[in-house]
Amino acid sequence: MRRFIWLVILALTASPAAAQNVVKIGQIEAQTGANAIYGYMSSQGLALAVDQVNKAGGFQVGGKTYTIELIASDTRGDPKEASIQLKRLLETDGVKFVFGPFLSNVFVTIEPYAKQFNGKFLLMGGATRIHDFLGTPDHDFLLRSWNWDAGPKGFGNLMVDRLVKETGAKKIAMLFQNDQGGKVLVDIYTPLFKQKGIDAQLELFEPGTKDFSAVLAKLAAANPDFLFPSYSDAHLYDIVRQATEGNYFRKFFLVRGSLGPGLKNKGEIDDYFVYVPKYFEEAEKTDPKVAKFVADYKTFYKRDFPYDQAPLCSSSCYDHLFMLIEAMKKAGSVDDVTKIRKELLSMTYDGLWKIRFDERGEEIFNFDIVRMKRAGQISVTSVDAQ
Amino acid sequence: MLQLLVGQTLNGVIVGTLYGIIALGVTLTFGITGIVNFALGEFMMIGAYVTWYLFDIVGLPYPVAILPAVAIAAGCGFVADQLLFRFTRNNLINGLLVSIGLISIVEAGALLLWTTTPKDMGYVLSGAVRLGGVSVPKMKLVVFALLAAVMFLTYVALSRTWIGRAAYAFSQNPEAAMLMGVKTEILQSGVVVYSTALAGFGGALYASLYSLEPAMGGLYILKGIEAAILGGIGSLIGSLAGGIILGVTEAVGSIYLPSAFRDAYGLIFVVAILLYQPSGLFGGER
Repeated sequence: MRRFIWLVILALTASPAAAQNVVKIGQIEAQTGANAIYGYMSSQGLALAVDQVNKAGGFQVGGKTYTIELIASDTRGDPKEASIQLKRLLETDGVKFVFGPFLSNVFVTIEPYAKQFNGKFLLMGGATRIHDFLGTPDHDFLLRSWNWDAGPKGFGNLMVDRLVKETGAKKIAMLFQNDQGGKVLVDIYTPLFKQKGIDAQLELFEPGTKDFSAVLAKLAAANPDFLFPSYSDAHLYDIVRQATEGNYFRKFFLVRGSLGPGLKNKGEIDDYFVYVPKYFEEAEKTDPKVAKFVADYKTFYKRDFPYDQAPLCSSSCYDHLFMLIEAMKKAGSVDDVTKIRKELLSMTYDGLWKIRFDERGEEIFNFDIVRMKRAGQISVTSVDAQ
Repeated sequence: MLQLLVGQTLNGVIVGTLYGIIALGVTLTFGITGIVNFALGEFMMIGAYVTWYLFDIVGLPYPVAILPAVAIAAGCGFVADQLLFRFTRNNLINGLLVSIGLISIVEAGALLLWTTTPKDMGYVLSGAVRLGGVSVPKMKLVVFALLAAVMFLTYVALSRTWIGRAAYAFSQNPEAAMLMGVKTEILQSGVVVYSTALAGFGGALYASLYSLEPAMGGLYILKGIEAAILGGIGSLIGSLAGGIILGVTEAVGSIYLPSAFRDAYGLIFVVAILLYQPSGLFGGER
């Protein structure tokens, strides 16, 4: 009994020392839910990266070896849930680095709370709405881990440009969810289409909608060249199926969502123009880093590689952990967030993607545009955004 | 424009039969047990997920997958009746509270089993029938035909068989029905189970048209109750008519008005009808 008590005392006194060499990383992403496509792969890729770092014995900063403790929560895409989880991460767990969120409705809800901790932590998320807050007072904690759509180097700008040049499109129908994610796309793409001389019509739908026949028929009546549908696979599978079955649309233009809905209906589609941060099916054959990642994923999770969702590992995912560790090494600190942020903004990381941040903290990385034509004929264009 | 109107009226009729099958369950349960079973949408969800599982994961042919899906939904309905609804007969408030609690339990179970990530079942029958400029997906036509057939058979069974007449008698005068030899406990449980089987069948057909989420039941029970109220609680024909009117109002309303408020168009119609006829369109008819 006495021996047992001594062991307990030893364990209790040893724990704080061990805890000093652990860097806590928090994650708030939708791992499940209607919009899980935006958080699923980030949560999968980050867990894999943490495992690899820890199995390799951790990393050294200032002569000390650190391992990583990942505290990943499933927000289910619910802003209230995410707020509670962030509060726990910052106030209870003492986390200084948070990965996520990718969803704009989640970000706009947590932002007023998160900015109270400005200078005390870093939040690296892909949410489109983060763009509006970068470089503004009290928002140094923000880093946006996804390419911006608009602007001279914006991927959306480039895609609209290609759409006009390659297809001669003059009219496009936008069908978005009536929420923060849908409205941000309206804000970005309405002026973009106007600039390129494309006439855009818009319809919004309620998030619970399953039958899109009426709104698709209404949009199709104006004879647009392309349908630009929603941003989440949860709706895209229903929209693409109903649009092709009802003969309303056979040409699609997407800047969010995966190639999956297109592939499922490939026999009925004439053109499926989609932004894919990386077309893994092809990259796996040519890039050893990508091939290793795919193999590691299969070994770690003991299941097939999710090719349709993998491109979204471009945001707050696998590469970003290694990039953060590099920045910590250069800063010589694992908790001085100002120094670490400065190092992140000054470096270029060459991983699955070639990543750097601009002066405001917005990520720029190379990406692919996939164009699927009749019967699933696929062509890929790689774009070096650097 | 005429093609658009005709096409969407047809689409509204088909979508409306899905609302109608839930409305039928609502009206039957209310007529015999005196409760509005808000959890019927959950049995629809169970039917849909089991069909998806058996068709996509196990690989059973679709018609074969439907049967166990309906049986499982009905089985769950039987368990719910024996454990819960049996104690709330003819008590509207208790029945309502129990059914709302059941929604939380069933949805939580579905979340644990299948997560909230939508499931998109493989296509059972792809392509569309095109007549003039109007195009209707083949599977929607099959779903419509099956739902209409089941509703018609239910109507025939209720009006032409001894059990059906016993159910009508019980809903009008329970004491008299008991004295005439109607086994009321069995009848009430049977109606609850049949209603959940109808919902499960609706779910099995739904899975062939749309992607699935655990929260799908909540949306459809609201539509089902709207349809039942619109048609007149207690009327079988009213359930179908209410569902169709709701479906057509939503579909046609979305053509002329912003589709973002599509759910509101059906509700406005319900309010307008109830102001004119508080018992619903077919209220009072059995």
